[in-house]
Amino acid sequence: MAFNVLVVDDSAVMRQMVVRTLKMSGLPLGTVFEAANGEEGLFVLQEQWIDLLLLDINMPVMNGEEMLRRVRANPETEALPVIVVSTEGSETRLAALHGLGCEIVRKPFAPETLRDTIIRITGVTDGEYYGSVAVANDGGDF
Amino acid sequence: MGSTMDQSLSRTTAATFEELALLVPEYALSPEQDAAALDVTVSVDFRGPFRGRLVVRASACLLPTIASNMLGEAGSRQPPLQRDALGEIANVICGNVLPAIAGAEAVFHLSAPRVHDANETPSRDGDAPSATAVFGVEADRVATALFVFGAMPEAAAVA
Repeated sequence: MAFNVLVVDDSAVMRQMVVRTLKMSGLPLGTVFEAANGEEGLFVLQEQWIDLLLLDINMPVMNGEEMLRRVRANPETEALPVIVVSTEGSETRLAALHGLGCEIVRKPFAPETLRDTIIRITGVTDGEYYGSVAVANDGGDF
Repeated sequence: MGSTMDQSLSRTTAATFEELALLVPEYALSPEQDAAALDVTVSVDFRGPFRGRLVVRASACLLPTIASNMLGEAGSRQPPLQRDALGEIANVICGNVLPAIAGAEAVFHLSAPRVHDANETPSRDGDAPSATAVFGVEADRVATALFVFGAMPEAAAVA
């Protein structure tokens, strides 16, 4: 299974960091889409099949919390796995986000933290993640 | 080390540079680090239980390393991306230091990071920072300052 991922963050630097982390993680990635705010993100969700949403909170035009509410209100995306990747430290706001059914990864994050959270939330198995182990049998010395 | 706010800013700055930029800040500056210029400035404004600005200043020589560690080699060669990378560091420091100061229940709204011109003062006239932190990073220097505009609630100052 290859994941199509949507990364929504107003910081081009942070989007690039997240995409880089995804590519280094070894996860079976399909296409990685990017959006700079919640409104753009909802448009991508309408146009593309997305398996995983990585979402910032503090953004102009439409923030991540509002986007997440709309994602959950849409029958086509209500069950979409969502990971909020944010500096948000307010317990009040984090509780509201948990209530909307998402995982939270705080910035700054270690690459393994993001990878492990993705594995947990998407249910990807070890086999899918690490791939099958190929054993050469070509009659050589090894 | 000074006040509790200084300590919070210092811890948060160090942790952010370590985890985001993969650089280890040094608390005791060498003469070389101490003399390094602070010629790039970025800031993030915030509002919530109190308003203010988080300012990060760094030596320009450090930017390619920061960008390279955050974005890979391609990012290290583009000056706008280098400054944006420092801006994202400021954003993360700000987002993490405010709950440490104001308490975990406080909700703050952060503006997008802003890069300041070389001759632009990032503080307002007469403002003194409420907290500061200075580190040596590689052969250069990084300084952060937290400005609070107006009165800070007493409960926030001791959270």
